[in-house]
Amino acid sequence: MTTETQHGSVIVMDRRRGKLRAGQGLLQGLRVVWDHWAGSFRKNDNFSKIHGTFTVEYPEERLPMPQAYRNMPVLLFDDESGHELCTGCYQCQRICPPQVIHITQAKDPVTGKMVPAATEFIIEYDACMSCGFCAEVCPFDSIKMDHVYELSTANRASLTMRKAQLNRSISYYTGIAPGLWAEVQAGAMKKLQGSIKRRPDVIGLAASLTEKIKARRLELAAAAAAAPAAAAVSAPAAPAAPAAKLTPEEKAAKLAAMKAANANKGAAPAPAEAPVALSPADAKAAKLAAIKAANANKGAAPAPAEAPVALSPADAKAAKLAAIKAANAAKQAEAAPVSVETAVATAPLDAKAARLAAIKAANAAKLAAEQGNNE
Amino acid sequence: MQDVVNQVINTSFGWGWPSWAIALIGYLIVAALLFGIAPFQMLFLTLYERRAIARMQDRIGPNRVGPEGMFQPLADGVKIFTKEDIVPTAADQWVHFIAPCVVVAPTMFMFAVLPWGPGMVPVDMNLGLLFFFAISSVSAVGLMMAGWASSNKFALVGAMRAVAQMVSYEIPAVLSLLAIVLVTGSLSIVELINYQGGLFISTRDVASVPDWGLGWFIFSPVGFLAFIAFFIAALAEGERTPFDIPEADSEIVAGYMTEYSGMKFGLFYLAQYVLNFLLCAITSIIFFGGWQGPGVGWLYAQAITPVNPQGGWVFNVLAGVLGVFYFLTKTYGFFFVMVWIRGAYARLRIDQLMDFGWKFLIPLTLVNIFSAAIWVGLTKWGAADGLAFVEGWSPLVRWAAAFGVTLALNLGAYLFLARIFAQSQDERARQDDDVLEQLTNVA
Amino acid sequence: MLKTEELQINIGPQHPSTHGVFRMLVTVDGETVTDLKPVFGYLHRNHEQIAEVNTYLQNMPYTDRLDYFNAMANNHAYAMAVEKLVGIEVPERAEYIRVLMVELTRILNHAGALGFLINDMGAWQTQLAFGMREREKILDLFESVSGARLMCNYFRFGGVARDLTADFMPRLKDLLVAMPAFIDEMERLLRENEILLQRSEGIGILPKDLALAYSVTGPVLRGSGVAYDIRRAEPYSIYDRLDFDVPVGSVGDVYDRILVRIEEMRQSKRIIEQVIAQLPDAQGGHINPKARQNVRPPVGDVYARVETPKGELGFYLVSDGSSRPYRYKVRAPSFINLTPLGDMCRGYKVADMVVILGSIDIVMGEVDR
Repeated sequence: MTTETQHGSVIVMDRRRGKLRAGQGLLQGLRVVWDHWAGSFRKNDNFSKIHGTFTVEYPEERLPMPQAYRNMPVLLFDDESGHELCTGCYQCQRICPPQVIHITQAKDPVTGKMVPAATEFIIEYDACMSCGFCAEVCPFDSIKMDHVYELSTANRASLTMRKAQLNRSISYYTGIAPGLWAEVQAGAMKKLQGSIKRRPDVIGLAASLTEKIKARRLELAAAAAAAPAAAAVSAPAAPAAPAAKLTPEEKAAKLAAMKAANANKGAAPAPAEAPVALSPADAKAAKLAAIKAANANKGAAPAPAEAPVALSPADAKAAKLAAIKAANAAKQAEAAPVSVETAVATAPLDAKAARLAAIKAANAAKLAAEQGNNE
Repeated sequence: MQDVVNQVINTSFGWGWPSWAIALIGYLIVAALLFGIAPFQMLFLTLYERRAIARMQDRIGPNRVGPEGMFQPLADGVKIFTKEDIVPTAADQWVHFIAPCVVVAPTMFMFAVLPWGPGMVPVDMNLGLLFFFAISSVSAVGLMMAGWASSNKFALVGAMRAVAQMVSYEIPAVLSLLAIVLVTGSLSIVELINYQGGLFISTRDVASVPDWGLGWFIFSPVGFLAFIAFFIAALAEGERTPFDIPEADSEIVAGYMTEYSGMKFGLFYLAQYVLNFLLCAITSIIFFGGWQGPGVGWLYAQAITPVNPQGGWVFNVLAGVLGVFYFLTKTYGFFFVMVWIRGAYARLRIDQLMDFGWKFLIPLTLVNIFSAAIWVGLTKWGAADGLAFVEGWSPLVRWAAAFGVTLALNLGAYLFLARIFAQSQDERARQDDDVLEQLTNVA
Repeated sequence: MLKTEELQINIGPQHPSTHGVFRMLVTVDGETVTDLKPVFGYLHRNHEQIAEVNTYLQNMPYTDRLDYFNAMANNHAYAMAVEKLVGIEVPERAEYIRVLMVELTRILNHAGALGFLINDMGAWQTQLAFGMREREKILDLFESVSGARLMCNYFRFGGVARDLTADFMPRLKDLLVAMPAFIDEMERLLRENEILLQRSEGIGILPKDLALAYSVTGPVLRGSGVAYDIRRAEPYSIYDRLDFDVPVGSVGDVYDRILVRIEEMRQSKRIIEQVIAQLPDAQGGHINPKARQNVRPPVGDVYARVETPKGELGFYLVSDGSSRPYRYKVRAPSFINLTPLGDMCRGYKVADMVVILGSIDIVMGEVDR
């Protein structure tokens, strides 16, 4: 034990024994508390004061966040080009201590080569420890720490963030941390230009933009295909249909589909009345068509398309269901012509089925249009 | 109240009802009023306490429900009403159920003798003060029932502490009041208030003093020491910091309330806050004149009273309003002091509390009774009572002599006892050291 | 004398004053504690094993979560251990920033610890609220440099993650203006208050030899009269250039621990003032630019320790040459300071037991790991 050290010394605390204790300490305590009570009618907004209320009335008032504040990681994209800064280099995935980052790197659909972009980027916010290593390690300054802290939810699954939910524009980030972005801006933008050059088609664009572009492209294609489809509807036995005649069974299938679509217009329970007397072959065809129609609509309504696949082909009921689903899907899709177009495009597989699908889709479109008019 | 009812029914309407009917109507009205007021006091005090203590801690306190958090107690009430009432399976169901009622009932009874303003007392009992403290002890039974019936170790320990504390602090509380009772010569609370007219000196001691309603007992050494002792005892009675040992949350969770939930828990809280209100009220009545204050005495002299049936009813109202205003101001002031103390201090340990009560407060109050006797002798007695030397002194000189003697006596006693008490504590600490030494030698 | 039966009470793991999920199996005779068995492990998170599958850098944010009151001090100990193992130089400026942060941590820890201690004695949050106010100010500063208030994750191998921001120094100076007033006020509330003296004087005495036998460290040891402070005994970082006193108690009771903590806040403030004066002249940047973060240390082992506000925090690392530690062991001050609890409480009352536990100042995150 050393009593004298190099700098400073050891001081034995004075216990102040032997002083008469007759309540002075109690009065002193009351005095301190009184001073605080008296001072509390002013606001304490200064670090150098100890009196005054320092409450921040949270939902109305919020403390300004320092630029370095880190809560949850987000992905940046360039406002002008719409390209994401992320190249899918896996650096963040590797460094993440709780291992909550999952990346799928993009591949060129034509050549199959890796492209400097991520097709999917998942961060499990519920397990993220906000350490900020991902943002620190990112060589492309793509992943940054967001300042949004109100993430409470009753649904844990909703905290698994996919790329579309993680995308933030650079302008958003400069809004919350201008200084930090200014430091890295030049390098980041230069690297971004490099990766844009190596990205074909829509790969690497922000998820919201890809959706828009896809929708717009489909719209354009649908406009081109709308005319023949309409012709097929107006004249069922016309040259547009390659098969010469409609068999009664096919007619029944068509009827079923139409009925189903009609019923769907009203309410859900109605489809029960659809005829069930379908031959297995026709049922198969109808189902296939329905699946195709539904598939075409996957973009807008992915769920319905999956259910029919699981059903056995021989089941008439299944066909009915499929038809209903298809009609449903078509209805749900805001842009009905799209389904027509894609249905026609996939025709080579099965002419009969294709025709059926086209008819059904067109029917659905018509219904949708009618509905639109009615409303 | 009965005067007013009598005035309305028999004088204004001329129905000539018998006096027992008048009394019954009067009591019913008063009881109804008080049962409305008591829970309201509790609601108000909870908000008041939370806001005041928040300010002491540089915070704001509840300010969301209603303007400035006015309806926060109501929200709390709704919450506590809708909570599930859980009774432990091991509990004694009936005793567990009855205990909160037994705790709440005495606090309601205590309102019976509490004067709110001039002539505004439910019952002017000539044993009012005794009644007040006798009834308040009943709640100890309820606490014991609650602690025992819960069949929980914490609850039992809490109840034991509560009963020990309440019983031992009744004594200094009553002894300190005894000094005042010696001076006034009456156990009636109304008489006690009437005694406190004057200006720093009571008109009953020195008749020539102008009556401004400020002849409070606090201005005499006897009253001051009694006030200190009584207020400390009141803190212990009301289980307030630094004597909130029975429900010490950091030690025994919530004491006897541990196994209570929902409205039963709410009733304990109600009882506690109403009791706190009553203790503050009785403090303000005994030592600070209750409704006495500048103007009330004069206004009441003009009002309709049994003494002065020709008065104006307007003065009744005015005197009542002013009296209640003074009374409530003082009462809430004392509640603020309770909150203030709660904001500043930690709590004592149960054995230290007992030490303090028995070894410091009780000797101090005994000395104070002695002082009170001297006071009475010097201000009131004459040659007939064996105090010949005061003959010929003017009342003011007699008062001054009494003041000086009692001040010296009380101050000396306080300092002496503080020293003795500190020494005894040191001795305790040394004993503890010895115990520890033995223990560590074993280890 | 009446024959009384001993009663066993479980204080915790769900109890208002056990500072987390901690259980004390207490045998009481009336209100006197005759035996006490601390039971812990409710917050075990497998910290040391997780650390062995993580890389060295990945462990840095996990150290924040050991003693979540003093993330910066934990970071410091871990960074020092790895730097020693790999042989990384730390620039002077980085050392100053580190010391600044660690001393701020000490102030905030003691402010909180004293507040919680008084709360355990039954005060209604006032002292705690005052302590928390100062703590909030310090946390604001931490947030502005590190990005987070509690889980700072600020230290890196060879320095710190970011340099101080432009507004850091003015705010720190403002804070230091208020600091003496705050400490004085704390002292006025704690030092002479008769109730507090009654509750703390002669309570929970830990004699010097017993404290040494239990290898207790930090304010608990110094309260027992042993002037042992790692900053002095084995100066690390730049502590050999700084001037500060080591406060020690004389009896070793709760009161001495309170006094030591109050004085340590003063000394920390003194250190911070010296750091502010010397920082502009310090060489180098906030981090050694040559230091690699994904270190791959040579085969060997290392033990590095610092004086955190709670005592000696040490990291023992064994490297097998890979990028992950082969063995990672934490010597947690809270855990070791907790071991003499039984001896400290025996013979005192139930109410004292809570106060003694509070005076040790534990954080369950560190005890259970």
